[in-house]
Amino acid sequence: MADIGAALTGAGPSPPSAAARPGWVTGLVGPAGSGLTRLGLVMLGGHPGTVAVVDVRGWISPLAAWESGLDPERLVVVRCPDPSRWAGVTAALLDGLGAVYAEMPPGVADQSLRRLAARARSRRSSLLLRPLQGGLPSGVAHLQLHGEGVSWEGAGEGHGRLGRRLLTLRAGGKGAGGAERHLEVEDDGTNAVRVVPGLAAAPSRRAAG
Amino acid sequence: MWFPDWPLRRPDAPPDEPCQVVDQGGRVAAADPRAREAGVRPGMLRRQAEAVCPAVVTLPSDPGAEAAAFEPVVSAVEEVVPRVEVAHPGLLFVPLKGAVRYYGGEGEVVGRIAAAVEDAAGPGGRIGVADGPFAARMAAADPPRIVADTPAFLAALDVAAAGVDEIVDTFRWLGIRTLGDLRALPRAAVASRFGTAGLQAHRVASGEDRRPRPREIPVDPAVEERFDPPITGMEQAAFAARALARRLMERLAPHGDLPHRVEVEAGSGRGPVRRRTWRSADPFTEAELADRIRWQLRAWVETGGIPGGLARLRVAPADLSDRGRQLRLTEDAASALEERRALSRAQALLGPDAVLQARRRGGRTPAEQVGWHRWDEPPGPPDPAVTAPWPGRLPLPSPVLVPPRPPALEVEWDGGFPVRVRVGSRWEEVLSWAGPWRAIDHWWEGRPPVDRYQIVTSAGAFLCEVVEGRCLLTGIYD
Repeated sequence: MADIGAALTGAGPSPPSAAARPGWVTGLVGPAGSGLTRLGLVMLGGHPGTVAVVDVRGWISPLAAWESGLDPERLVVVRCPDPSRWAGVTAALLDGLGAVYAEMPPGVADQSLRRLAARARSRRSSLLLRPLQGGLPSGVAHLQLHGEGVSWEGAGEGHGRLGRRLLTLRAGGKGAGGAERHLEVEDDGTNAVRVVPGLAAAPSRRAAG
Repeated sequence: MWFPDWPLRRPDAPPDEPCQVVDQGGRVAAADPRAREAGVRPGMLRRQAEAVCPAVVTLPSDPGAEAAAFEPVVSAVEEVVPRVEVAHPGLLFVPLKGAVRYYGGEGEVVGRIAAAVEDAAGPGGRIGVADGPFAARMAAADPPRIVADTPAFLAALDVAAAGVDEIVDTFRWLGIRTLGDLRALPRAAVASRFGTAGLQAHRVASGEDRRPRPREIPVDPAVEERFDPPITGMEQAAFAARALARRLMERLAPHGDLPHRVEVEAGSGRGPVRRRTWRSADPFTEAELADRIRWQLRAWVETGGIPGGLARLRVAPADLSDRGRQLRLTEDAASALEERRALSRAQALLGPDAVLQARRRGGRTPAEQVGWHRWDEPPGPPDPAVTAPWPGRLPLPSPVLVPPRPPALEVEWDGGFPVRVRVGSRWEEVLSWAGPWRAIDHWWEGRPPVDRYQIVTSAGAFLCEVVEGRCLLTGIYD
């Protein structure tokens, strides 16, 4: 896993390591299809030890996690279709596991999210939050990655097959150094995710008058 | 007291056809006389058994139901001799020392037990009397057999009876044909040549299968839980069983101990306290112990033994072994324990079917390639079809989101090519696509052919299937 954290702080692309840092909450915000679930699973796999995925709809397939190198023995999928139990279950998992990827159902109270963030900090666990609708309230995530676009290579007009993909992300929050930055992540679908060099802070918008 | 074919005593077993019961590991647990005549043996893989006897009817094993059905037999024997030990449904050990004095002879006790068992379960039970559980199990016969000289009886048994399949052939090759031959060898020599398995075999051959308690432990290891209001549902009882098994193992773990025998004691809301001992030749693991407690509770509940619900449950280990699990050097006991606690807590909140692990299976579609099992339960044998070539399997990368019931996907076609796809409330232009890949699966069941497409839009890539003109969303490359 390429270290998105290192890329954001200017250290540039680095050898595979965990982007999901202990005690960090990372928000992965964007509609289904923007490529963030696989990115989240890859970030999860960077953590040693058992990791958990909170699956709200029962849609997450562990195949993608296995393809990116996560050992099936280390991955536990917790299906939580009941939104009223989501916060309790996620908190319980944070108490004992080093990293948790949680799909977030709509309608979770801001206060619950802040409590979860505090718990992740105190337990030094990584929490990756993937809201199914909308975004995250400010101040919850150390690092927010917004999916800005995804382009796929490999398929043509009926021929070929999906291969590499390029995600364009907008990163914000304390983990991105306080400034909004744009980031490109290249993914060959099965193995590693690489942070593409050439990062730049987003151009500041000034009024011209 | 042993019923060799206990798992076959169930209402769905066909009376006129060869029949076998297969356990969760895919091995034959019991076979009826017709299947045995055809060559089926307990311990065989299911496929081997079906190869030697193609007409055999295979039933999955249900130890909970078997334990519940065995409960009347256990109760009947308990009327004659108290404090019996259940090894598994169908096999019961009865301590006879006190009863022989009380009834005035082994023959008298055995006659009473045989009559009680026949009243409770009909004929078919085998009874053997000998020194120690292993010798008694080997002696079990119909009519009952009373072994006067246990060492001589054991010495005449074939060496395969020691239960160490992996070294039996080597024993035979070395000329060790009976347990007597094995016992005649110095134990140290057997241990140095064959390791733990050889040592175990030598102990069994010497009639030392009941391992003595190696040392006193300073704390009372029994665990107990009270329930107010009393538990009446099996689901809750299963949770309680699992929680107590975990607590017991956690309490014993620091001492490196594991139980060979446990006493399960249940107090009802109103009524007597029930007690039952379960034993195992190998020390119980946490999952095995939880199973035994659950089976026993189910057996009591189904026979009306806990009127008013379960108000108190206590599990006390009897014989302890020092063969505890040794953590690896790099393994952190505290974090492993915390992980277990966290996942158990999630399981308690959502139910056992919500906390899952998966293992790879053979198949073409993403859903077919994933085999789910409950966390903390054995996943069963690996699927040998994983390494099969599976022509027509979807290429990598796999979609990350796979709806279990694929919703309809609106696609606009032009001359057979996808042009636009509806994503949410918007129509997205198709940028590129791969396919159609035609799959003709299960045609013998009347399943229609399926055309699969990978469709790329600016909003993402999707996997869809067109079946009889309808397009379904079967995966999202998120």
